[in-house]
Amino acid sequence: MNRPKNLTPLLFLLPALILMVPFVIYPVFKTIYLSFFLDGKFVGLENYREVLLSPDIVNLDRFPTKSPPWGALIHNIVWIAIHLPSTVFLGLGMAILLRREEVKGSSIIKSIVFLGMVIPMIVGGLIIRFLFEEGAGVVPAVFKALGIERLAITWTAYPETALLSAILGSIWIWTGFSMLMYSAGLASIPKEYYEAALIDGANRFQLFRNVTWPLLKPITIVVVAMTLLWDLKIFDIVYVATGGGPGGASMVLALQMWDYFARALNYNYAAVVAVLLTVLTFIPALWLLRRRE
Amino acid sequence: MAIPRYKLKRYIVSNSLAWLVGLIWLIPFIGVLMASIRPYEEIVSGWWNLHPFTLTIQNYLNAFNHPMFPISQGLKNSLIVAIPSTLIPLIVASLAAYAFARYSFPIKHYLFAFIVLLMALPQQMTVVPLYFLLRNLHLLNTFRGLIIVHSAWGLAWIIFFMRNYFSMLPTDVEEAAKIDGATDFQIFYKIVLPMALPGLISAAILQFTWVWSDFFLALVFLQNPEKYVATQRLPLLRGQYFVDWGILTAASIMVMMVPLLVYAVFQKYYISGMIGWSTEK
Amino acid sequence: MPRRKGVSLFLIGVLVFAIVASGCISPGEESPTSTTPSTSPTTTPSPTETTPAEKVTLKVIGPWSGAELDAFMEVIKEFEAQHPNIKVEYKTYRAEDLSTILPLQFESGDTPADVIAMWGWFIAEMGQKGHLMKLNDVINPEEYVPGILDTVTVNGDIYGAPFTAAAKPGFWYRKSFFQKHGLKPPQTWDEFVALLDQIKQIEGIKAPIVSGDSVGWPLSDVTEHFILTFGGKELQLKLINGEVKWEDPEVKDIFEQRLVPLLEAGYFSDPIEWTSAVDLWWKGDYALYFMGTWITGMVEDPNDLGLISLPGVKAMVLAPDYFMVPKYTEHPKEALELAKFLATEGQRVHVGTKSGKLATWKKVSIDDYWEPMKDVAEVVANVESAPDLDDSVGGEWQKTFWDQLKLLWVQPDRLDEVLSTLDAKFPKGG
Repeated sequence: MNRPKNLTPLLFLLPALILMVPFVIYPVFKTIYLSFFLDGKFVGLENYREVLLSPDIVNLDRFPTKSPPWGALIHNIVWIAIHLPSTVFLGLGMAILLRREEVKGSSIIKSIVFLGMVIPMIVGGLIIRFLFEEGAGVVPAVFKALGIERLAITWTAYPETALLSAILGSIWIWTGFSMLMYSAGLASIPKEYYEAALIDGANRFQLFRNVTWPLLKPITIVVVAMTLLWDLKIFDIVYVATGGGPGGASMVLALQMWDYFARALNYNYAAVVAVLLTVLTFIPALWLLRRRE
Repeated sequence: MAIPRYKLKRYIVSNSLAWLVGLIWLIPFIGVLMASIRPYEEIVSGWWNLHPFTLTIQNYLNAFNHPMFPISQGLKNSLIVAIPSTLIPLIVASLAAYAFARYSFPIKHYLFAFIVLLMALPQQMTVVPLYFLLRNLHLLNTFRGLIIVHSAWGLAWIIFFMRNYFSMLPTDVEEAAKIDGATDFQIFYKIVLPMALPGLISAAILQFTWVWSDFFLALVFLQNPEKYVATQRLPLLRGQYFVDWGILTAASIMVMMVPLLVYAVFQKYYISGMIGWSTEK
Repeated sequence: MPRRKGVSLFLIGVLVFAIVASGCISPGEESPTSTTPSTSPTTTPSPTETTPAEKVTLKVIGPWSGAELDAFMEVIKEFEAQHPNIKVEYKTYRAEDLSTILPLQFESGDTPADVIAMWGWFIAEMGQKGHLMKLNDVINPEEYVPGILDTVTVNGDIYGAPFTAAAKPGFWYRKSFFQKHGLKPPQTWDEFVALLDQIKQIEGIKAPIVSGDSVGWPLSDVTEHFILTFGGKELQLKLINGEVKWEDPEVKDIFEQRLVPLLEAGYFSDPIEWTSAVDLWWKGDYALYFMGTWITGMVEDPNDLGLISLPGVKAMVLAPDYFMVPKYTEHPKEALELAKFLATEGQRVHVGTKSGKLATWKKVSIDDYWEPMKDVAEVVANVESAPDLDDSVGGEWQKTFWDQLKLLWVQPDRLDEVLSTLDAKFPKGG
């Protein structure tokens, strides 16, 4: 009969199921469940209302006219707004630049840029903190040399600049990924396409717009989706570079969840933020999935 | 215009730009290195000041043997966690991936899509109930507990990755073996796995690096400071009374040395792993 | 077809069952504080069975290192001598680090040590959450300086064992320095300001008073001295419990009329890391240093030390160290013994060392003190003792207080902003 055959895949799947069901799948559902309770009592959507409307998550009093804190959700959105286009285009530019035959040592440079992706993010956060520290850090020193005293401070210690310093640092870290992906993508475009276009009399810009960019679209989708996911989930960097401060001025959703869990010991609110975070990450995830099916 | 002149201009512009980019990206690392090998007094007003320049390993010693959060213990703990957390999911995921790649069974597509979704899931979504589950199983503050969590978490992406890899392998050898009467498991173990070695290596390297670099899960599941892994100790290594960049940078270098070395030695696998993991064939 | 459907249904059923089953392994998560008492599921390898004759090792955690640690070790040695079957291991952890590590560790049913030194308010909080052993059987409140147990008592349950205390009595100077420059300790406020001016003129002096830096507590100590001198103990207490606001005229006055003018005149240095400041002050770069009594153990010649309190001071901060015993200790009996010793005989030993600390246990007499501290002990005995302000309020506000004072020190013109921030961040409801 077919039974033995049908059972074999199950056997292969079994160890994975044994591990994943209690340690991944069950917790996901339990977290959703927890988000509807408070201290053991069912409260329905009350938690969501409390958390989502709290200034920790969205602070419309201060956004956008005053300086941060603006609320964790807004901080993440701002992060994406700055980080995403920057790393995508910087990475693309670098990939193009470093493919030029006349550039010597391009593989060394590529490795240097990619290093940020290899190091632990907590180290990345420490490096960022060091970079922006008054006296010891390069960035304030540069502004001091330029005579811009207002930025010759420890960026991570002031509400106006804390978030920005973390974002800029994260660009330094993540550009390597986009550069890597685009490098691979560019390498896979057959030369014949370019040659054909050149014969048709295309100049450099047209070449890029009509040949390169469209062929890179699948790569771009992946880079954008992965970057979105990374920006939403950012934790280690902020934890050590600014601690979410000062006064919550650089708080992000993942860190806010940690705050509820470990400091306030409010497991239900932590669950709510986790659910919020997950819902947000499903947007790029599902988009990625659909685009490829 | 003469062709050589045009080429020369391009040469200069491209190279300058490229090396400028390289320099800018390298500066933070240079800073960290400088701060770790020079005494704190020289760093506090800018490591780019090269006078005076004193070389010292005191920072490394202080970080390694820190009275409260020694990196020596941290590195050891990180290894204890990372190695099993790489081997276990690798084996388990390969088995599962093989099922997805070679068999058809009901709900296969839904299950696989579910696994893909799990890859996007933030860790935050699982830790609260996991914390209580581990507490009841007396697995909090144990390396076993953290290893289980890491292994389970790594399964999603490794299944995805290895399944893609397996699908790329030609099936003729396997079919021949089946005709010869080999069991499914023998085929998997003796034929497919060896063929998939490069993929396995890539997956192993990436998983090891990610577990080594993990901070959040360690924070949630290891509360006893003596059990802290290397990454957990870094934020706590401030000097006695002030932020001692000497100790912090030396410790950072020691902690990032491992993934850097892995990257340097296995660069090919690392890169192909990263690209393969984000794109589906 | 039906068979395929059957298998898929079966698989789904197994999945659901497994998910629900995992749920049943972890009941009762909604009560975050695990109620497992002393015999805990920790993974520390020390022996769990203790009979009276067996060797037990206790772990103690404290913030001390260097010279302060030497003094504390003498207390430990005396305890070990009196209890031959107990060995004590000491580990250093700063209070700031412990405040992030301990809550999580306690929640997980684990503890890094059997006896731990921490801030009073923190101990009270942990006690309230059910993580600590009650010490009512080993601490007799009548044997202690009145009020000293307040911060560590919750609803009558005592959670903290008081150890010796530091007093924050005033500005220290070198008698030799004063003699050399013909300076005299002031008797009135005006004489005090005149003295500062006089010192400022001296060649080689960078500033009359050196300000210590750390997380901020040296500055809060100075500030509280001003509050206690011009507002008395009542004002300090009312600020602690929130009855009086920082922006109230009485408080604002003290800042505006007394402290800020001195800051603006440059009589205070910018905050300098506090242990380096000791060296610089001793060397002669500065003349006065506001510090706790433990400074007596940090200088080469404690007999050269002189003390100036602000003229008219009525009360001084007495800040004791407290020890707590977590419920998750594997040796509750021995841990309580140690806590009791530290709170009683241990104090007697400690004040005899170079710790520069004062006893909170009334059974310690002046004769038990280390020579250079005997005078200081007399001075402190003659004024009222008050609790440390930021240690009593604790929590996030303590950090805010320190941060705001650091700001005030370098930008005294921002006084209004500082005071209003202190009020804004003050914990509501006591």
